[in-house]
Amino acid sequence: MKIIRQVGIIFAVCWISEVVERFLPFSFPASVIGMLLLFFCLVTGILKVEHVQEKADFLLENMAFFFVPAGVSIINYFDILKNNVLQILAVCVISTVVTFAVTAYVVKAVVRLTAGRMTAGRNAAEERRRKS
Amino acid sequence: MSGISSVINELTSSPYFGAGISAAAFWVGVKLNRKLRTPLCNPLVIAVVLVAGVLLIFHIPYDSYDVGGTVIDMFLAPATACLAVAVYAKKQILKEYWLPVLAGCAAGSAASMGSVYLMCRLFGLNENLTASLLPKSVTTPIAVSIAGTSGGTPSITVAAVIFTGILGSIFAPLLIRVFRVSDPVAAGLAIGASSHAVGTSKAVEIGEVEGAMSGLAIGICGLITVLLSGILC
Repeated sequence: MKIIRQVGIIFAVCWISEVVERFLPFSFPASVIGMLLLFFCLVTGILKVEHVQEKADFLLENMAFFFVPAGVSIINYFDILKNNVLQILAVCVISTVVTFAVTAYVVKAVVRLTAGRMTAGRNAAEERRRKS
Repeated sequence: MSGISSVINELTSSPYFGAGISAAAFWVGVKLNRKLRTPLCNPLVIAVVLVAGVLLIFHIPYDSYDVGGTVIDMFLAPATACLAVAVYAKKQILKEYWLPVLAGCAAGSAASMGSVYLMCRLFGLNENLTASLLPKSVTTPIAVSIAGTSGGTPSITVAAVIFTGILGSIFAPLLIRVFRVSDPVAAGLAIGASSHAVGTSKAVEIGEVEGAMSGLAIGICGLITVLLSGILC
């Protein structure tokens, strides 16, 4: 019964997000609306993690399996790929390196900035304490 | 000959054929992956190669296979929605590191889309291929939805996403050394932003903080990439 209830909850979230997608004035993928909706329900306490845990674990752990048909459909696109395979590989390799480097450097910079502010704050507080 | 092919057609257009062969092929993929323990043997890649091989060898029409394939596709949206549960499970570290996480994921998503776009222009790839490749650094379900709504071909996106993930999981340790990323928060977010769930499996091996941050980056970069592609397209 527990699993049935979890399946029901998650399918309901997906259906509601399809309804929302239909009425949004701009295009936004329903599955991502579902992600936001489920996150909102968990944060506000409308749903508890226990309400979806096992079903979510099943879906997340086997995520890759659900892409087998999408992957297989690549056999319909051999012609497009054949002519551009080297370019596509190059795009993937270079952008992976660029994304890694940019993310790492931005995070490092932000951590350093906020850490600097935190130690500055701590020093100021200490100074105040010493003066008083 | 046409008699045989019509029999094959009839027998394979049951939804049980497509769904069954997909599950069996994925099971083989998982087994091989556990045995060989290399990111090159990605279970999804093995499953796709096996199924595509069977279809091509036995001249089974793709449309027959897809009758079962559609049944599996039905679980994509629920699986994507459940990424929320994965992010929610990490709400403690999200609260503590929200600024570096948001800044890093926003910069990483923008860098990914920007570099893909520039190179597609440089190599003269057409609109369709560009739209298929743009979301390639985020997790498959989100990348596929973005490609679908922006005029790309989802199956090319799936291939690019998996390839990117495998690249990330193989080269993450090397990239950490080359770019001298000593901070585990920065390393984890960089792995998650550049190579989603496949990279995250490597980040988990590198360290606990790296794994958690990489996992967090999957959902957040996905969301930011949706927003960015909505603004740009």
